[in-house]
Amino acid sequence: MGLFTKFVYLLGVRKKEVNVLVVGLNNSGKSTVVNHFKNEEERVSEIVPTVGFSVERFQNQNLAFTAFDMSGHGRYRDLWEHYYKDCHGIIFVVDSSDRLRLVVVKEELDLLLQHPDICNRKLPILFFANKMDCKDALSSVKIAAGLGLDKIMDKPWHIAASNALTGEGLQEGVEWLTQQIRDVILSKN
Amino acid sequence: MCAHQCYQRLSSNTLKFATLPNNACINLCDLNISRWLEAHSDRSAGLTTFARNVILADVSGDGDYKLVLTDVRIQTDKRSRLKVYKGTLLTSDQVLPDVPSSVISFYTDDLEPRVPAVAVACSSDLLIFKNNKPFYKFCVPPGPLTPLEEECWKLFAEPNYDTQKLITDLKSVNFNQLSGRSQELLNLQPNQAQEYIQRYVGITPIKTSPIVCMSTLNRSSQDALAVACPVLGTEDGIIYVLDPQIFTVLHQANVCNVKSTPTIIKTTGMYDVEFRIVVACRENSICVLRRGWLEGKPVVQLNEDIIDLLLIPGDNFIIIGTTSKMLHCYTKRGQRVWSAATVNAITCLCLVPLKHLSTHLIAVGLKGGSVHLYHGRQTVDYTNSPDTPSAMVFGQLGQEEHVMVIITMGGTINFKILKRTADFNLSNQDKLSVPTLQSKPLPLPKRSKLFIEQSMRERQDPMQMHQSFQQDLVNLRLTAARALVQNLTEQSGAGNAEEQVKLSAQILGLGPKFTLILTLENMNGDKAVSNFSVVFHAKPTIYKLSSYLSTVPLIPPGLSYKLETKVTEVLKSGEEQLPGQAIRVFVIRKGQAHPVLAATINMPPTEITTLLFIFSQKFKSACEKMRAFSKRPPDSDILEVYSFYKQATLGDINIPKPSDIQGRAKWEAWNGKKGLAADLAKQKYIEKVQGLSGTYA
Repeated sequence: MGLFTKFVYLLGVRKKEVNVLVVGLNNSGKSTVVNHFKNEEERVSEIVPTVGFSVERFQNQNLAFTAFDMSGHGRYRDLWEHYYKDCHGIIFVVDSSDRLRLVVVKEELDLLLQHPDICNRKLPILFFANKMDCKDALSSVKIAAGLGLDKIMDKPWHIAASNALTGEGLQEGVEWLTQQIRDVILSKN
Repeated sequence: MCAHQCYQRLSSNTLKFATLPNNACINLCDLNISRWLEAHSDRSAGLTTFARNVILADVSGDGDYKLVLTDVRIQTDKRSRLKVYKGTLLTSDQVLPDVPSSVISFYTDDLEPRVPAVAVACSSDLLIFKNNKPFYKFCVPPGPLTPLEEECWKLFAEPNYDTQKLITDLKSVNFNQLSGRSQELLNLQPNQAQEYIQRYVGITPIKTSPIVCMSTLNRSSQDALAVACPVLGTEDGIIYVLDPQIFTVLHQANVCNVKSTPTIIKTTGMYDVEFRIVVACRENSICVLRRGWLEGKPVVQLNEDIIDLLLIPGDNFIIIGTTSKMLHCYTKRGQRVWSAATVNAITCLCLVPLKHLSTHLIAVGLKGGSVHLYHGRQTVDYTNSPDTPSAMVFGQLGQEEHVMVIITMGGTINFKILKRTADFNLSNQDKLSVPTLQSKPLPLPKRSKLFIEQSMRERQDPMQMHQSFQQDLVNLRLTAARALVQNLTEQSGAGNAEEQVKLSAQILGLGPKFTLILTLENMNGDKAVSNFSVVFHAKPTIYKLSSYLSTVPLIPPGLSYKLETKVTEVLKSGEEQLPGQAIRVFVIRKGQAHPVLAATINMPPTEITTLLFIFSQKFKSACEKMRAFSKRPPDSDILEVYSFYKQATLGDINIPKPSDIQGRAKWEAWNGKKGLAADLAKQKYIEKVQGLSGTYA
């Protein structure tokens, strides 16, 4: 990228397309999170369990996001890895009220981090500790500890407590992700 | 043996690991990474429950499956409770009126939202809850009273009665056939009896039978969320199938034609179509009840107590865990399919359906706190529980499909989640299917064994195998080609089809003199043969024959002529004996260029012993010849002959050099032959004497 294009890009004249992968267990609120990022008029009122995956597009700070909203159901989880190669960032949604399945989340996160398409890349991972409004929800700190996030050394990560129904905490998280992706892209060029 | 060590480390309390089949040990060795995620374990839960008192059901109808269990308290001052766990958290806790025996959940209707009812069997009542609230209570129909008991209670109502006499009367009735009220009366102190009777006087007692076991039976669909009928088994040995909507008895049947108390009920099929109710009885028998039957049929009778029973959906195999550490598998007709010994006492069984692998595993809870998973008769996995499990259940809990909840004797509640990636190596299992009870290998047929060994060798060194094969093949071809060339050049053959003459040869003697007898046979039926001669052809350096050509007289039809020839082998001492040479025989007809017959006779070699004998005879005769010389040869020749003789008979020089001239000359001559072999010396001696004999004999 030449100096001029870089300048144009920084000015925000040309949008950069990035792919993000939205993963997490079933019923953790992935589709609801993605739904909230969309424009007001495109939003759907009722979220149903995703089958396979769905592709959604939204923008944030001159970055055009293509979100691959993966199904979190056990039998569709092996689809995730096919999208690892082409993604620039990962949004990992965790149901913070589901204490029972925190081990499953950890297991899936470990599988994700050990995947050859992921383990050698400096891929930013954004965690949403979703459903923070539930009364028996775990705090984001507890979830970070439970998932062993402090052991992730080679990748930038961030955890944000969220409530996808109201949109609380989502913007903060996605801004962090945008910043990270932008840094990575700029450093590459 | 890493597998064994590994297994030992995993369960130090299981000492019978050596009896496990090898493949089981291998599988256990794979367990470095467990297939189970430890989700939660609560040692302070303080639960007391039994198998069939723990279920997983979507009791609130929101797709979030809950754990429903009864916390059983047998002590009279404590109450049993019905508890509902949402995930790992206790959300509902209800007091039960009596000690529960079993819990089931079933859908009563098809109305949306689909909320299943939970039914708890307490004594003779079936308490049905819906949305965690009491919904209905079903009472088991009372059984008939014995006439004597009925009479007694009538008499109690009379103004003047003899309490003691009536109580004695009641005692004469079988205790099990009495109503609960009479049973209690008999257990009271005599002074309390009066008051007790007064309380109930005038009311006829009801004999009810407690529900001991329960199950559900789908009504008209095999779907997991289909409407299902509760199936109850009572202490009296009666099975009731209830209508799920109005709770009336749809079907009633006896467990068996003999007195049997059901302990475990499992069902398969649909009530409206065809069903099978499998009942384990306290009398160690398994009875099967089918649609329209009023009485169950015993299919299996065991010698050991039944701990738990499972029915594998699909093939309808009956899995029984017994007190003698055995797991049996029977068909629905009661034929035993297999048996497997467990390493420890079985405490409970649990079916682990794995839809994504389209198979079912059997989880076996063992004393000491281990849970073994069986696929058929093979152990495929092993996991631990905090202590001896008393009840296990596997299914959906919350949003997770593969959760195993283990409640232990110590009151701990343990949640395990099966990893998504666990496949239990089931695809490899079929290949390694060695029966558990069959520890020694099957005898392999010899041919298969050879084949296996050969293929193993081939696999090890295919290059060398191929090379040696090619070499042998080339050798074989060469030998065949040589034989063909030899045959063509020698034109041998024992018979002549045209002339119908047969030649056979016989060699007599050990050598070096042989007698060769040739038999010439006229095979022709009606024609005599004449003008034949036999020519022998041999290397003159090897064989001397008495005659080389002999004429054959006329041979009449069907007769034979014998021809005798002396053969002497020319012996050449000092040279290596040739291993026998051939003499070629030609039968020729006068005036014909081509021989009628040609044959090659392979002469046997002269026997070594004969040769040695002849040699020593020759040496002796040479000695005698030497002595009998008429003229004296010159001294130099005599000295040489002497030295050869000495060397031949005594070997290397062994005497000191003498002083006299003659003796010294002799000694020196002998010494000159030092190192010469005895045989060679003899040979030289014979030759020397032969050379001298011409002039001096």
